Amino acid sequence: MLLTTILCVPLLVGLLCLVVRPRVLLEALNIAGFAILLVLGAALVRSVDAQPRGAVTEWNEFLRADALSAWMVLLIAVVSLATALYAVRYFRCDEASGALTARRVRDFYVLTPTFATGMLLVVLANNLGVMWAAVEVTALSSVLLVALYNHKTSLEAAWKYVMLGSLGLVLALFGTICAYAAAIHPGGGETMPSFNWSYLLGIAPQLNPQLITLAFIFVLVGYGTKAGLAPMHTWLPDAHSEAPSPTSAMLSGVSLKIAVYALLRFHILTTACLGTGFSRHLLLGFGLFSMVLAGPFILTQKNLKRMLAYSSLEHIGLICVAVGMNSPLTVFGALLHMGYHALAKPVLFFAAGNIHQHYHTLDFRRIGGGVGRTLPVTAVVLCLAAVAVSGLPPFGLFVSEILIVTGGFTSQQAWVSVVLLAALIGVFCGMLIKLSGLVLGPARAEHPRERMPVGHVVAMGLPLLALLVFSLWVPESLRLLLEQATNIIRGIP
Amino acid sequence: MTAPASEAASRLIPLLATLMLVFQLLLVVQRMLITNIRLFALQSLALTAIAAVVAYAYGAWHVLVVAVLTLVGKVIFLPWLLTRLVRRIKIAQEVRPFVNMPASMLICGALTVLASVVARPFTSLERLGSNTLPVALTLLLTGFFLMLNRRKAITQVLALLTTENGVMLAAIALTTYGMPLVVEMAIFFDVVVGVMVLGLLVFRIRESFDSMDVSKLNELKW
Repeated sequence: MLLTTILCVPLLVGLLCLVVRPRVLLEALNIAGFAILLVLGAALVRSVDAQPRGAVTEWNEFLRADALSAWMVLLIAVVSLATALYAVRYFRCDEASGALTARRVRDFYVLTPTFATGMLLVVLANNLGVMWAAVEVTALSSVLLVALYNHKTSLEAAWKYVMLGSLGLVLALFGTICAYAAAIHPGGGETMPSFNWSYLLGIAPQLNPQLITLAFIFVLVGYGTKAGLAPMHTWLPDAHSEAPSPTSAMLSGVSLKIAVYALLRFHILTTACLGTGFSRHLLLGFGLFSMVLAGPFILTQKNLKRMLAYSSLEHIGLICVAVGMNSPLTVFGALLHMGYHALAKPVLFFAAGNIHQHYHTLDFRRIGGGVGRTLPVTAVVLCLAAVAVSGLPPFGLFVSEILIVTGGFTSQQAWVSVVLLAALIGVFCGMLIKLSGLVLGPARAEHPRERMPVGHVVAMGLPLLALLVFSLWVPESLRLLLEQATNIIRGIP
Repeated sequence: MTAPASEAASRLIPLLATLMLVFQLLLVVQRMLITNIRLFALQSLALTAIAAVVAYAYGAWHVLVVAVLTLVGKVIFLPWLLTRLVRRIKIAQEVRPFVNMPASMLICGALTVLASVVARPFTSLERLGSNTLPVALTLLLTGFFLMLNRRKAITQVLALLTTENGVMLAAIALTTYGMPLVVEMAIFFDVVVGVMVLGLLVFRIRESFDSMDVSKLNELKW
């Protein structure tokens, strides 16, 4: 009953938050719910590791968790918990300053668990159609979160997000239907085949290759839009910059990766059916394009959270490239990178949220520098997280990026690694220029020094601490899990 | 399945699919907002009829459930919801597209041809409705064009819904029985909730901007 419980916990939290009034209780429910989820996620990792066939199934295989799903469950739990911890003071400040009403704050505490439930269903559903529906649930709940402030700009961002997202999802639905049609016997057949991913993978060589090819193209464009792959990424900086910071952290930290996960399931299926590099080359191409595009946009960016959004675009690109290179090192690196990025990116958005609340703007020119003196704690956290995200030691993203680059060199794809390195360096320079301009310099007199309670500093820094710990020490069970997931992605039984 | 029933069905389904296409083209040229919503309802009704024919010809009862869901959701509930929204926010009735009507018609004609060329390799699949795949693709493509060509938020929602109709027709064209029931129900639920969320956003946009012209949503760049 583990999988069912995992799905029910955040759902229950969301439903309870609908009826609960006091704010303290809302906060406590969210934190407790996601903490339980994290424990359940760890339990799932254990039971997946213990399975001989590597998958836990429930409800007659309706829910299925293999190593890849278990890893994603862990990411969802970690990012949600970090967000819930940070959200406490963030929304108290917003409510005190009148930026949000109490009702809207409650909307946040109801919608965030719903968002998490949707993501969990994406990774736990075996049926590809149900997976699609779950992605749609995440889109709808996050749209309302993006529009939470009800400013003109946040409504605009939400509208772009929902329109592009829905368009993408319609295309993904068409692709999903094509994948199902590929499983139907060419003669028309009287019976309906199962739409379970595990079943389709089992009969992959008998699937109609034309329809599977068509399916992958549509799904790539569809879920690629949701994952923010260039050139379908145009909603991403808008939504990430206009959403409240806890939601930006969720969107960037984990929701983009959930869309990549959906894409990966189809990639595995397509490769198993066609037996060629068709899908991985497409992933490689879109990933490289996203990475190369991110650099110039970061260098010319005027808004802090938009810059962070473009950095997410770069990391999603990197993950797709690494999967596309398809060597054991790069795929392992991609999975590791997902985890490290999920720990580092939310912290950047948390720090950006503090800056936003203090200066009431995210525009680099209007803030004008001196954040290091006005908001010393926030600035330190921001810089540490930026160092981590840029892939500098001692943080784990250095390890995962080195793995991916080395994997490229050792698998005769040196040119990919060279382009990767160039793009990474470009993004690093952009972040360095922008953040040094923001943090350094004299304090500006009109802004008072921040006063930050210790609890909030801990809530902000906790993911960073976890990142440092897991950079230096990867537990044996996690390593096993990631190796299993690598084999699943590479189609090795 | 009896032979005559299947014979009649294989004639009825393309006819009904063509009807869906006709409603789509009328949507492209129709100027009045309420009429647009009614045309969408009629198109959904044709989709319902196709599902009902498939259910009857094959005795596949789960397809009948799909037909009932489509009837309740897309023919009755969503048009009612959208009409109510239009009345409540008191917007001008006339739709002002970016591209004028004759040019839109030509573009949609070109898209129809494109769809039939793209769909050709797949129409040889021996399934009951496989000859409706070109129509399904046309609905998808013209739906995208409609989205680009409309200024008002509500008409964009309608365009999105017609693309969704196209995809559901494609499901019948490619698989005969459509998707497993649990998937169909999940999709249905998502579409209904999705339109409600979109309606809420439209309402808020109308309140903050005093307009529903989405071309005014242009503050965020880069």
